[in-house]
Amino acid sequence: MAVSVDYVVRETASNLWRNRLMTVAAVLTVAVSLSLVGAALLLRQGSANATGTLERGTQVTVWMEPNANAQEISAVGTELSQLNYVRQPCVYWNKARNFAEARRLLPSDVFQATTEAEMPTSYWCTPVALTDAAQVVHTFTGTAGVLSVTEPQQTIHNEETVINVSKWVCLAIAIVLIISAAVLILNTIRMAIFARRREVSVMKLVGATNWFIRIPFMSEGLLQGLIGSLLAAVVVYFVYLFINHEGGGRTTSNIFTAMHMSGSEVLLTNVVVVIVGMAIGSIGSAIAIRRFLDV
Amino acid sequence: MIRFENVTKTYKGSTVALRDITVDIDKGEFVFLVGASGSGKTTFIRLLLREELPDTGQILEAGRNIVELPKWRVPYLRRNIGCVFQDFRLLPNKSVFENVAFALEVIGRPRHVVANQVPQVLDLVGLANKRDNLPGELSGGEQQRVAVARAFVNRPLILLADEPTGNLDPQTSQGIMQLLDRINRTGTTVVVATHDEVLVDKMRRRVIELSNGRMVRDQARGVYGFDGSGQGQEAV
Repeated sequence: MAVSVDYVVRETASNLWRNRLMTVAAVLTVAVSLSLVGAALLLRQGSANATGTLERGTQVTVWMEPNANAQEISAVGTELSQLNYVRQPCVYWNKARNFAEARRLLPSDVFQATTEAEMPTSYWCTPVALTDAAQVVHTFTGTAGVLSVTEPQQTIHNEETVINVSKWVCLAIAIVLIISAAVLILNTIRMAIFARRREVSVMKLVGATNWFIRIPFMSEGLLQGLIGSLLAAVVVYFVYLFINHEGGGRTTSNIFTAMHMSGSEVLLTNVVVVIVGMAIGSIGSAIAIRRFLDV
Repeated sequence: MIRFENVTKTYKGSTVALRDITVDIDKGEFVFLVGASGSGKTTFIRLLLREELPDTGQILEAGRNIVELPKWRVPYLRRNIGCVFQDFRLLPNKSVFENVAFALEVIGRPRHVVANQVPQVLDLVGLANKRDNLPGELSGGEQQRVAVARAFVNRPLILLADEPTGNLDPQTSQGIMQLLDRINRTGTTVVVATHDEVLVDKMRRRVIELSNGRMVRDQARGVYGFDGSGQGQEAV
């Protein structure tokens, strides 16, 4: 038997207004819990992005001797181009280019002491995966004309570990938060329904079916969940703005730069937050009212 | 219309509320259920509403054994029974009109039917002018009238009343009983559980007396206490 939409809308609106203190309590509970959940999910996404960025940004450099001849240089270049664990093409910097870079990076008095002729040439390579960097080092060290092969090994390892841990920790936190949010919200709804148990018993007396009694309560819960989660979504949006602001437009990168998120990622996180909010609100209400529905 | 067959109900293993009750109530009858507190009157009513199940025995309403009714059917059973209580049991945040309309909304009657039937029944109970008041703004008697209106609006087959005049003064109580009598005349079977002697004596209807869970008297046109005049103990 269908419950009329008109009845549900009227009842929901008047019940939410009449019990407004309880409504506000439920909405705030949802908002706070889901803000934390949303922030945790966002940070998790950011960590995943950071891993990706780091992987893309890590480079291995094959430095050639300053007096290496053209044959040796092109031999190394050819060999690099044939590797499948290095992104092609590798970038070749000649002496002039390295000289310009040295001018940029070195303090001026040190720079005075160098000349372009003394500059090495170099191949800048990006390994496909972080782990392939070691292989490049191994392959080219000792090859004719190669001065050295550098990779920021220790730094890679540290950042990778931190980011992996952060990804899993954020996910774990998000799950724990979802559970505690659900419990809190359920409790708030249960208190609200308990205060209206007389009303429910009259409904049963008059011959209302369980669904007829449930639906207004569930729709109230749904609405409370929706409003609370929209508030949470706003908070999550500000967290996103904060991360991108802290990480953007700087010359030195920090952890936030690596965590840069796109607009669609924050939108997805917010959609999840809103869906979770509505689900907890409506299902929580259905569960809370069960004990009052026994004949 | 109502038949109890060897019904026994015990609460929590020790308190026996009803012992082996067998009774028949026909359609359109007006029956008083009398007895001291704890004699089983309220249990009787609760069993009829299927708020409780008997330990043994059968209960038939309109030919259907309600003991065997599946849970999901119980709301539909209750829509055919109107019930009035001592504490009125109105929804405090709804107006008189809305309280009565609620009984119709619950069964899915459309708006125009509600707009039609509620004023009719409010007229019947004499509260047409109070349709927008909240229960808190009404006297006890008026609240009970609203409860009666709500119980009757669906034109149920059976109307039950559990101490309907318990919280009312004698004069108002008379008014309520007259109302129940009028409803009975439309063909509704009415069962009133009460310990208001004056009302029972005045109306001289069938009296079923319970004592400690047993039926000790079933008298047509009876009075509250045993009349002692030898006027038959069996129902006509």
